[in-house]
Amino acid sequence: MTPMPLDTFKAGESGRIARVEADEAIQRRLLDMGLVRGEAITVKKLAPLGDPMELVVKGYHLSLRRAESACILVERAQP
Amino acid sequence: MTTVALAGNPNCGKTSLFNALTGSHQHVGNWPGVTVERRSGTFRAEGLEVVVVDLPGTYSLSARSEDERVASSFLASPEPDVIVNVLDASNLERNLYLSTQLLELRRPMVFALNMMDDAERDGWKLDVATLSTLLGGPVVVTVGNRGEGIEALKAAILAQARCDDPSLDPAQWPPRVTYGDDIEGEIRLLAEEVRRDEVLVADLPGRWWALRLLEGAGDALARAEASHAAQAIRARLENSRAFLKEHLGAPVDTLLAERRYGFAHGLVREVARRDNAPVRNLTDRLDAILTGRFTGFPVFLAVMVAIYVLTFVVGKIPQDAVGAAMGWIHDTAAAQLPPGELTSLFVDGVIPGVGSVLVFLPSIMILMGCVSFLEDTGYMARAAFIMDRLMHLMGLHGKSFIPLIMGMGCNTPAIQATRTIEAKSDRLITILVTPFMSCSARLPVYILLAGAFFRPFAGALAVVAMHLLGFAVAVVAGKLLRMSLFRRENAPFVMELPPYRLPVLKTTLLHMWEKAFVFLRKAGTLIFAGATLIWFLSNYPGIADRDLAARYQAAEAAVQAQNLPEAERKAKLGELDMARKGEIMNTSLAARFGKVLQPVFRPIFDPQRQRPEAWKDGVALTAGFMAKEIVVGTMAVIHQAPAEGEDGAALSPLQQSLRDRSGLTPLTALAFMVFVLIYTPCLGTVGMIHKETRSLGWTAFSVAYGLGLGWLLAWFTVLGGRALGFA
Repeated sequence: MTPMPLDTFKAGESGRIARVEADEAIQRRLLDMGLVRGEAITVKKLAPLGDPMELVVKGYHLSLRRAESACILVERAQP
Repeated sequence: MTTVALAGNPNCGKTSLFNALTGSHQHVGNWPGVTVERRSGTFRAEGLEVVVVDLPGTYSLSARSEDERVASSFLASPEPDVIVNVLDASNLERNLYLSTQLLELRRPMVFALNMMDDAERDGWKLDVATLSTLLGGPVVVTVGNRGEGIEALKAAILAQARCDDPSLDPAQWPPRVTYGDDIEGEIRLLAEEVRRDEVLVADLPGRWWALRLLEGAGDALARAEASHAAQAIRARLENSRAFLKEHLGAPVDTLLAERRYGFAHGLVREVARRDNAPVRNLTDRLDAILTGRFTGFPVFLAVMVAIYVLTFVVGKIPQDAVGAAMGWIHDTAAAQLPPGELTSLFVDGVIPGVGSVLVFLPSIMILMGCVSFLEDTGYMARAAFIMDRLMHLMGLHGKSFIPLIMGMGCNTPAIQATRTIEAKSDRLITILVTPFMSCSARLPVYILLAGAFFRPFAGALAVVAMHLLGFAVAVVAGKLLRMSLFRRENAPFVMELPPYRLPVLKTTLLHMWEKAFVFLRKAGTLIFAGATLIWFLSNYPGIADRDLAARYQAAEAAVQAQNLPEAERKAKLGELDMARKGEIMNTSLAARFGKVLQPVFRPIFDPQRQRPEAWKDGVALTAGFMAKEIVVGTMAVIHQAPAEGEDGAALSPLQQSLRDRSGLTPLTALAFMVFVLIYTPCLGTVGMIHKETRSLGWTAFSVAYGLGLGWLLAWFTVLGGRALGFA
């Protein structure tokens, strides 16, 4: 299954991180926050205006703009 | 003396632990050169004085953001003797990532396993003894906000500080995280090159340097570049990076982060057990409402209205009390002291100057208390979450909404509230656009002019239009600043949404007190100096003119001698006082300055060049530098007409004078309002901008572009109005 950018995920969907392809500063920050390869990630909800997204990773909640979540490629879990 | 550094993730309860450790022995300032808060405090135990330094909360030591730079450079300095790593027990894995970096410093460490109560509520069971063995340092269980475990933590810190058992020498520790043969090999090679420079490895192990360099940490790279071994290190680093990327198929910083998280993950599996995880905890239930699709914004608006009311409506009570007290001191001093220059300096310069600083205090304390409360509960992150889309359109961050909304009350505390924005560029842009929000001090000016030149309905419309224009200018300016000056700074919006927690009252109160204190010390001095300068400019040389003083004294004596009825006598004396003040003002340095400025203001306030009184605008606006509401009082003095009307009269004498004699037209009055809206808000705000940016350059920029933009927009108003056929 080909990994898809995380911003295409709907609320409630989850998957495993395949890779992160962002410019250096963002990549570094995302790595530090635990968005490493193989990690399970869930889209919890979208903000009322549709951006940013609320994610759950490593058991904590994180918010990311769609522009940045597009850098995270995720293998969608089968529902 | 022993120095202890408190390090940990944001929201791990570091501050409450710090408060519990140090009690009231605290000192708050800024880290040298940056606007990151530096809190330090002391405690005494077993005859030893221990200094505790609270580092900014960070997720890692990569030194990308200002907070991380401060934390990592302090930790890498020889200053800290013991590092206390505060861990949020309810979110252990991510918290341990920072620990893996801290362990590589090879300094004596203590781990404070904080928020154990939260973890237990979530169903976690932690094996503290095993955790201590695996981390290689003492682990103390604490609940910072209830003060539990503090004595044990102090004891562990002292034991580490005194440690003279060579087997416990951290330099002899085995590495906790091993990165696999390929990476370890490159680390060894790189460490060899680093060891060529004794200065680099004097305080820090070569392995630490090698890891930082491979990670691409900015401060380590800069130090290595400055070393005499720079060339060898650079060559080795490039080789290692290329080799690892080729062999392991990923950039080395990714590999390191993965291995670290691998270690943290394994450790958590080893020590933590979760029996009955609650299906939906309190945070989930609250979030369903607070960030809900339909409920999020109504709740947000209600919270903002509540804070606004608390800060500026409830806060007005102590503020009025401060004002009344200053007024009483002013009147008493004016009545008791003999007339003269010194008295005037004291009565018209120093007292209003001190007053202009003190009036900000109640609203600053209340607003900062609210902000601290929102931060500590976790709601601030949610509010930023729901507002980010709108704020991002303006080139701002989700957290910029508080300064913008509170700016409508008063810009000064609003600018201080930008502290919650982490990224420097987001924060600077917010500071630069907040002054365009029309604060309540500008309202009297609008009311004065709108009342004099417009019919009631049009006047109300003009006042509303000013507020909207201010907001629009803030939006456009934010966008332009983001596109021009801050284009290259890419601050990602990666924000944790921490679990909701009940804040500790003591922490909130301490926070309010700190903000007030720092404001008085830093911004207060500048505001006070400015107020005195403006007094000087508006009173000299007239106040020192003995002939003028003698003339008015004679006139006053003549009135006194006339034996008039009390009311008439008072009115005459009032008129005389007004006339004297007017004469001083009209011959003052400020008036001369106003006349010099006249050509500058001509296109916007006197486009037809037929106003003999146009120079008075410049005087009022110069005095308005101190505070916008002073514009009205100054106009009353220079136009020789009181701003307070008699009961029943539609217009005050000042409004009549402005309408009938000043030569302003409805159009130029509108331009005047626009200029007052946009130009430099007031000394209080300028002082605060300087305090928060720590840069004279940005402060000057803010003043200058406010003036320029105000002029331009007033000019557009005049041009547009004339094109539409208004005079």
